Amino acid sequence: MNLVVESTEVSTVTTNQAPSLSGWRTYVRNLWRWREFGWFLAMGNLKARNASTSLGLFWWVLNPLIMAAVYFLVFGVLFDGRRGDEDFLAWLLSGVFAFNFTATTMTSGANSILANRNLLVNIRFPRLVLPFSAVIETGVGFILSIAVFYVIAWPTNGVLPGRSIIWLPAAIGLHAFFNLGLAALTARLAIPFRDINNLVPHITRLWLYLSPIIWPLSLIEGRGGWLGQLASANPMFGLLSFYRMALMGRELDIAAFVTALLWVVLIGAGGIISFVRHEGNMVRYL
Amino acid sequence: MTPPAVSVRGVGVAYRSYVERVPTVRRLIVGRRLRRSTTVVALDDVSFEVDKGETFGLVGDNGAGKSTLLRVIARTMRPNQGSVTVRGETSTLLQLGAGFNPELSGRRNVYLSGLAHGLRKAEITRLYDDIVDYAGLNEAIDRPLKSYSSGMLSRLAFSISMHLLPDILLLDEVLAVGDAGFRSKSLDAMRDLLVRGGTVIVASHSLHMVVEMCDRVLWLERGRIREVGSPDSVVEAYVRSPPVAAG
Repeated sequence: MNLVVESTEVSTVTTNQAPSLSGWRTYVRNLWRWREFGWFLAMGNLKARNASTSLGLFWWVLNPLIMAAVYFLVFGVLFDGRRGDEDFLAWLLSGVFAFNFTATTMTSGANSILANRNLLVNIRFPRLVLPFSAVIETGVGFILSIAVFYVIAWPTNGVLPGRSIIWLPAAIGLHAFFNLGLAALTARLAIPFRDINNLVPHITRLWLYLSPIIWPLSLIEGRGGWLGQLASANPMFGLLSFYRMALMGRELDIAAFVTALLWVVLIGAGGIISFVRHEGNMVRYL
Repeated sequence: MTPPAVSVRGVGVAYRSYVERVPTVRRLIVGRRLRRSTTVVALDDVSFEVDKGETFGLVGDNGAGKSTLLRVIARTMRPNQGSVTVRGETSTLLQLGAGFNPELSGRRNVYLSGLAHGLRKAEITRLYDDIVDYAGLNEAIDRPLKSYSSGMLSRLAFSISMHLLPDILLLDEVLAVGDAGFRSKSLDAMRDLLVRGGTVIVASHSLHMVVEMCDRVLWLERGRIREVGSPDSVVEAYVRSPPVAAG
């Protein structure tokens, strides 16, 4: 066994909850040091989640696909919500897949803490690694589903990747940062107040219906008033517009996109800061 | 004089827990709340220092706050009051490898706990054969952990902890399990750690072991320090004291 004492790191933990600027720098450096841990957890979960099913990893794509099929049948065919939109299927698929990225990250944010309680109680590491790994895990599933999007949207709606596809990495990056903040915020609230876990599915469902996913833009066009304002204040409005520009070559709604950018910064940074400030108390509630 | 490895100053920890009342029809009708939250004080104004190279024992009844104190020193839990300063890397070792995921194989658990300690994957790969050899697990390492015996679990946990080369080793009721061979092997490993300037803090109910191993002992009673001092006198006072109901 090695006889050299390698590290003489000194660290003090007090009740003081606000990390200083240099504290944040150390936190980011630690996050980087623990990056392989986050990746390992994400890949482990990706495989383990459906390890006992025969379709395994395919469920990552199959789940949102079935969801989209149900919405297409109910809202596209039954209610004839297409309203003359020829690309309705591509519209619906892009919306459901992107929204699903946010919805699954929100649920797994809190779960990532609860599932790893043994590690949290005994080992010291930057806790933000856990929501991070949740975003990686669901993000990999989302990226796979983009391939499936073209496999379906090409033969049905003739949608193929064009030059605007170069915006896709930026869209995924912004979306992932937004999701990280959201997952951190849900985890930070759901650990002391487990009731949040019961609310999350209802919130995401309402949010889905309020986003331009199962209905085309023509539904709210010209309606104006509070409905139009509420719709464009929704961060999903601008994010989806950005995605549809990248994936389908649609026109970008600049105003909605700027609103979405503000949301991304607010939720992303706000969620992370709130999580990190409270992570020392987390073990007390496990 | 070298600064202490661990200084604990005025630490207090309180948990909030719910007390459930038996739901009765009358309580439902009258609308009295079925749960009320109470505060459980796990540690109350605890201060002490542990020097480098020292073996420090923690004794006390169940619920006296020993495990909470180890968590505060491991800095996985922030105290409600006071502060803790630790010089060096800590590694916590719990009974029956409670930090593991029973569904995963031994191999994946070795990587999981190494990565959680902040090691690089390549570093763990370098240590991997030594860890498995030292734990004496051979091909069992690829079986899920839930198939392990308690002895195998503690051997694996101990092997990982020792290969992480912590400056401060925190032991929570570990030494009571394991066969005689493993016990002597682990005592040797701990002696190595102390020789290279490490520090050991051990919480245990096996009092003869505490007396044998430790340089000093702290006796906790309902979250407060009753006594700190030489192992013989503290353990003797603890044994003589009448049992206290856990708070």
